[in-house]
This record gives sequence, structure tokens and C-alpha cells, in this order.
Amino acid sequence: MRKEKNKNYLYPISLSSILIPGLGQVLQKKQSRGIVIFFSTIILLLLIIWALNNYGISKITIGDIETSWLLIPFTLFWIWNAIDSVLIGKNKNAGLFLGVFCAFTILFVIGWHVTEVKPDLLLNKIGDARVVVTKILNPDFFSIEKNGKTEICSWNCLWTNFRDKLYGKPIQNIQFSKNPGDIFGRIQTVNSIGDPIKPTFFVGKLIETIAIGLMATLFSIIIAIPLSFLGAKNIMSRLPGGNNIYFFMRTIFNLGRAVDTVVWGIFVVVWVGLGSFAGVIALTIHSAAALAKLFSEEIEHIDPGPVEAITASGANTIQVIRYGVIPQIIPPFLSYTLLRWDINMRSATVVGFVAGGGIGYFVLETIRVGAYQQYAAALWSIAAVIMIVDNISTRMRENIILDKPKPPKRGGSLGFLKPFLFIVIGLAIFVSCWNITKIDLKDLLQPGPTFIQILKDFSNIDLSISTVELISKQMIITILQAMLATFLGAIFAIPASFFVAKTLTGKSRVLSWLFYLSRSIFNFLRSIEALLYVAIFVYWVGIGPFAGMLALAITTFALLGKMFSEAIENIDSGPIEAVNATGASKIQMIIYSIIPQIVPSFTSYLVYQWDINIRMATIIGFAGGGGIGLTLSTFFGSLQYHKAGTVVVFIVLVVALMDYASAKIREAMI
Amino acid sequence: MLQIQHLRKVYPNGVVALNDVSFKVKDGAFLAIIGLSGSGKSTLLRCINRLIEPTSGKIIWGDIDITAAKGKEILKIRRQIGMVFQQFNLVKRSSVYTNILSGRLGYVETLPSLLHLFSKKDHDKAIRTLKQMDLLEKAHVRADSLSGGQQQRVGIARALMQDPKLILADEPVASLDPVLAHSILKYLERLNKENGITVLCSLHFLDLVHRYATSAIALKDGNVVFEGLPKQIDDKQFKAIYGQEAEKISIV
Repeated sequence: MRKEKNKNYLYPISLSSILIPGLGQVLQKKQSRGIVIFFSTIILLLLIIWALNNYGISKITIGDIETSWLLIPFTLFWIWNAIDSVLIGKNKNAGLFLGVFCAFTILFVIGWHVTEVKPDLLLNKIGDARVVVTKILNPDFFSIEKNGKTEICSWNCLWTNFRDKLYGKPIQNIQFSKNPGDIFGRIQTVNSIGDPIKPTFFVGKLIETIAIGLMATLFSIIIAIPLSFLGAKNIMSRLPGGNNIYFFMRTIFNLGRAVDTVVWGIFVVVWVGLGSFAGVIALTIHSAAALAKLFSEEIEHIDPGPVEAITASGANTIQVIRYGVIPQIIPPFLSYTLLRWDINMRSATVVGFVAGGGIGYFVLETIRVGAYQQYAAALWSIAAVIMIVDNISTRMRENIILDKPKPPKRGGSLGFLKPFLFIVIGLAIFVSCWNITKIDLKDLLQPGPTFIQILKDFSNIDLSISTVELISKQMIITILQAMLATFLGAIFAIPASFFVAKTLTGKSRVLSWLFYLSRSIFNFLRSIEALLYVAIFVYWVGIGPFAGMLALAITTFALLGKMFSEAIENIDSGPIEAVNATGASKIQMIIYSIIPQIVPSFTSYLVYQWDINIRMATIIGFAGGGGIGLTLSTFFGSLQYHKAGTVVVFIVLVVALMDYASAKIREAMI
Repeated sequence: MLQIQHLRKVYPNGVVALNDVSFKVKDGAFLAIIGLSGSGKSTLLRCINRLIEPTSGKIIWGDIDITAAKGKEILKIRRQIGMVFQQFNLVKRSSVYTNILSGRLGYVETLPSLLHLFSKKDHDKAIRTLKQMDLLEKAHVRADSLSGGQQQRVGIARALMQDPKLILADEPVASLDPVLAHSILKYLERLNKENGITVLCSLHFLDLVHRYATSAIALKDGNVVFEGLPKQIDDKQFKAIYGQEAEKISIV
């Protein structure tokens, strides 16, 4: 029936896509495909015109007319859309390859220009880079007295001395430098002016960072748990007026999440002043919003059976939550808290860039004076701490997710002391972190006068054409910067991930060494935030979006490498066995049984990573990486809060939009 | 006496789950409700304790108008009606004992119950119920470490903690092995015969209906198509309820 009907209309309907892209698809009940095509066409065209007018990108002159050669892939995209529409009329479709290829060609060419990618810089200035890399590979942890002067003694020097000691040769006196003291802490007997004081322990910047991360995690759980119930649809629909509260809470969560910790940092600093406390607050705001969203989703996904059963027994809503909901959500809540602790530790390493506390501030200072060996020592120490945190968090989460019933407890002779011991240790950690991060609740109640000014200016943001134009320009650069970084990272991550997948390396000793080596490199690179990498690339290729893009590409490489290799490890072994049984070689096996299985998950990770990278790209400018972050810090620095407000609104909109789009695309993939 | 009068339920998506259902259940009866999946059995049972709001119609239980109850009255009614579920609906991570105690929630004050404080009487009752359902040695293990049959016994024990006058059992044996099905239904039968609790139980297998029920109704597309004694369901009735294609199957 329906087929007959379609045939009569086939051509007019299908061909309507030639006039308005996507129309044919919509008319043939492929609404979402049509809408995506329609908006893609408009965005691509606007981008091409924008790029031509602002930067003269891809300009060609035919006769008297100046135009863009990017209109060629654009036309191809249009044609692809028409073919697709016609084929849909025949219950087929044109496949995504050509359309996606054309769209990305346009995005890449424009992205390449606006991100100021200059590969020649990488080679021309390789000398400068070598100097930095040498310094970074030789961090300042130890020093040695030579001819009355103190010199940094790094790996090479340490090794020489160690060898000399083995051979019984006299060795020089090696000591900790001042630098590790700054990082980890030291006992000091004189104060800053030089007057003697009784020996006091001064906390290092890295310890401060750990305290910031811990406190922020603790506070965000305390805030997130009650809020998450208000943001859970299945709970709120039980209460009168609950649905309105639900929507309100979800909006708040999304706002808090969309603004990066570092951006929150600049507000908080105005509120409570520079210092670790500002870092704790900034992290808490972002983390509480993110946790509350995850928590409320967990509450929504609980098994409704027990809730129904307890409701049926005549219990009231509060009792239902206590007996039917809470026991179910404890494992996922714990697991997300641990994950958040891991993420907060990472963010705590960079929040100091703006908030003034922790290792981020130290890094900023070392870069400012060009002390790359001290900077390197910080990076190495951060990597060590974050890798330990990552490891603990992952292991504990694995146990929690298994959630095995424990055998009934046997009351040992000192078993009852255990909870007391935990409470005492916990309290001790809490109190010392409280002191280290200099939490002062009075500051919270007395916002600085500037903060009130900000609030005033933010309620009246600058939407003049020139400002919006400037901000849009930087926003486009940021989005394209993130896209290029994602692709650059992925190009290197894909081959590398095959080495790191346990299932493929097999039993050969060389390969398994390669496995451990590459996995460690991934873990090392992953443990350092992109913001901390920017300094290296700024030194290498200069300040600007290119440096930011490269820094993002490094973290992308490490993150995607990990996710890809896990995807390869988790594939179904059945098809591999089947292909192997035909006598295929290893390469053939990869092509015919592994690649078809991993394409969907790889693509979904790519989209996810682009989403993450856009968030990161919004702050990469704080360290000299260009894009919207630079604009924001400039506006803030010059007290133009009207305009800074506009930037924040743009960031929130773009991040929320990308978040939504990426979730939709990934849903469609799986 | 439980009277269902012209009960109708239309879901917001337009599905008519119950069209016009009327029947009566005598106190102390073991009523089997049969019918295909989607015939409205679960909706009917959940309307009786107001887990689902009926669109129209009346449910009168003794001298209580269940459909007219509001707010706290509903909770008071629910606590007198035990419910047993196909998927047991236990809190998997909580112990058997906590699961059973949660059946008392309708009787205790909110604040102490939040702190897991129950009276000595409630604890004694829990122990007695555990003994009655042969679960005493399992009291302190987690609910998900029990077998299916044991979990359903916990489900029944939880309902018993409510001192119910009526038990609604929604396919209580559909997730269990046939052998266990008899064991579970025997527990329900004993509660029905010895304690005089009225039981409304939806069942799939006709021979279980013949074996345990004292009366039966059949639903088809939200309408009552049979009301009477189990033995009156003959081949003709059977085809009318389950459709011409249906074949009788029996279980051990």
C-alpha cells in the first residue's frame, strides 16, 4: 500500500532536496536525517563565506569574481544530499561517507587556517624544541656542589654518581634541590625574611593540590547527594509540583557543568581572593553539578520493583526512599565519587592557573621565568601522583561495580576498632586538608566589591554587533581547534592502540614489552592536563591557537589510545576465531574481524572526545593556547565584565549544544 | 467481601488496559485471575491497592471505598493488603531480614524507621515470620544470594509482616521452576486456609488454577470473560480465553 503511494510522489518529493537540502528526507519520514542535512548545509555555507570575508581563505578569482574553491566540496555535499533523497525514495540511502567527507574537508581547510597551523614551525624551530625537551627530560630534583656552585643533578648525573659509588670511587655530595621542597614541602628553620624560627613544616604545592582535590570532592558529594534527589524524575513525579523542581534542578546542573572549573575559578577569585580556598570552591561548583547530574541519572535507573513493593506495603515517600532507593544507589554513588575524585585531582593541578593555589600556580610561575627544569619536576611529580590516584580509583571502582555479597562478618577480637580507626584517620585528613587549603567560611559571606560589580555587569551583558562578531570568531576558532586536535590525536592513537590491546599483542616477549611500554606512555601522557602542556608548545611554535591545538592533541592521543585499546580488548572473540579458522594471517584477521567490530565504538569515542576537547579548548587560552579562553582572560584582565559575560554565555551555549549533539550522535551509533 | 464495580483504566498513551471490569470476591477465597499477557491482570491487581489510579469505577472492600481514599488513607489501606510480585522485587543488596522488616513500614513512625529502629514486637514478628517461611538460617545474608524460590518466600514473608487481610499475587510463580511453583503456591494456600487471608493471584497455568484456586475469573482485552469455579473452565471456555490457537500445557 504505502510503497504504491510513494511511487506516485517519488520524483517531486525526492527532488525537493535539490531546492532545499534535507526537505526530501523530511518529507519521506527521515526527519532527523533531513534536519541534520539542512542545518549542516546552512552552517557550511555561512562558514565558507565567513572564512572568505575574514581571512580570504581558499580565495580564487575567476574573471572579476572572487570566490572560494570550497564551494566545490560544498556543491558535492548538495548533490550527495539530492542523491540520498532519491535513494531514500527507493528504500535505500546514499551512505554517509561522501557527505561526511565533503563537510569535513570544508571544516578542515578552514580550521587549518584559523588555527594557524604551520607544520614548518615544528621543523624550523626543532632546535628550540630540543632545548625544551632536554630540560623537561631532566627535571630538577637533586643538586650537586661543583666548584662552589650548586648545579642541578638530573638522571645522567645521578647515574654517573651511582656508578661511581658501585665502583667505590669518591662521590660528590648530592642533595635535594630547593625545587622538590617547593613541590612536596620542607622543614624550614628561617622565615622568608631570614629570621630564625623554630623548625616548621611548610606544605608543598603538590600536597596543597591533593588537599584541594580531596576537599572539593568531599564538599561536592555533600552538596550533590540531596540535590540529586530533586533532579531525579522518578522521585519528583511522586511529589506535587515536583516536575517543575526537576526541570529547574537539571538546568542548574547543566549550567554548572558547562562552565569549566578554570572559568569558575576567575569568578571565585573575585569573590574570595586568590588562594587554595578559591580553587576548592571553583572545583566544588563544577564537580557538584557534574556529580548531581550523574547521581540523579542513577536514581532514575534503579530497579523500580523494590520501590513498587515497598510502596505497596503502605510506606510513605520518605520511607520508600530510605528502604527502596538508597540501598540500590550506594554502589553507583560510591563509584562515581571515586571517579570524580580522580577527575578533581586532575583539575586541581590546573585550577591554580587562575585561582592562585596548588601546583598550577607554581607551574605558571616557573613558565613565566623560563625555569623549564623546575617546570619539568612539577610535571613528573604530578604524573606520579595522578597515576597513583587513577590506579587506586580504578581498582576500588572495579570492586564496587562487581558488588559481590560479602560473607557474614566474623567479629574478630579487634574488629570493633576498625570503624573507629577509619573515623580517626578520616578526621585527621579532613582537619589537615582544611588547614592546608586555608578554608575560611567568613570569606564566603563577604564577597569583594568587585564581585558585586561583576554580578551587575553580568545582568547586562554586551550584545553589540562588534562584540558578538569578535566572540563568534574566537568561538569558531575554538571549535575547529578542538576538531583538528581530535583528528590529529586520533591519527596517532589508532595504530598505537593496536599495540596496547592485550588481546592482540599475544605471547611474544618483545610484543608484551612493547605493550607495557606503550601503555605506560599513554598513562603518563594522560595524567597531565592539556593546560600544563601548552607551555612546551608555546615555546616551540609560539603563542596562539596552534600551540593550544598541539597540547590538546597530546592529551587526545593518550585518552583515545586508552579508550580505543579497551574497545579492541572488549570485542567479541567469536568472529576472530572464525576468521582464524579459515587460515587467515594476522593482518587479514585484523581487517576482517576486528575493524568491522570496532568502527562504531571508535567513531562514538571520537565524537565524545571532540566534545571534551571543546570544553578544554575554552580554557586552553589561559596558558597561551589561543581561542575563546584568551578572549575571556583578556576581558577579565581589563575589567570588561560586560563583554566577559557575553563570552561565558557563548561558552555555556556552545558546550551545552555540543554535549547534546554528541550524546545524540553516540546514541545513534550504538 | 471485595467488590469491583465497572472498573476502567486508560493509560495516558491511550491503551485501554481495563474496559469495564466487575466481579466479587468473598472473604477467605483463593481467586485465580487468568488471561493472556496484556489482558489487564497486573493493572487490575495494582488498581486494588491504588498503585495505579483507575480512570473510573469503584472498588469496595468491606466497608471501605478504596477508590475514594485520599493521602494517608491510601497508605492505611495499603498496609492491610500484602503484595507478591513476579520478579520478587526485593532490595537485592539489603539483607533478608531488612527486606522482611520493610513490610512493617506502614505501621511505624517515619523518623525511627529512617534510622532502622524497629520495636521489639516488630523484631519478634520478623523472627516468627522467618520461621514460618523456613528462612531463619538465611536471615542475615543478602537477598540476591538466595535462589529464586527462596527470594519469593522472602517476598511472601514481607507481605505477611503487614498482617494482611488480603494478598495480591501478581504472577508469583512465573519466574520460577515448575517444582518451585507448587512449593510457593502451597505457602499461599496455607495462608489462605489457616490464616483466612483472601488471596487474589494471577496465574498462567490452568492446572495450577485447578489445583489451588477456589474461584476464578478470566480477563481478555480488559473485559471479564469468565467468572466461576475453576473446574467450570472447560475446553470451550479455554479457547474463548486464550484464543483458538492455544493448546493446554500442564506442569509437573
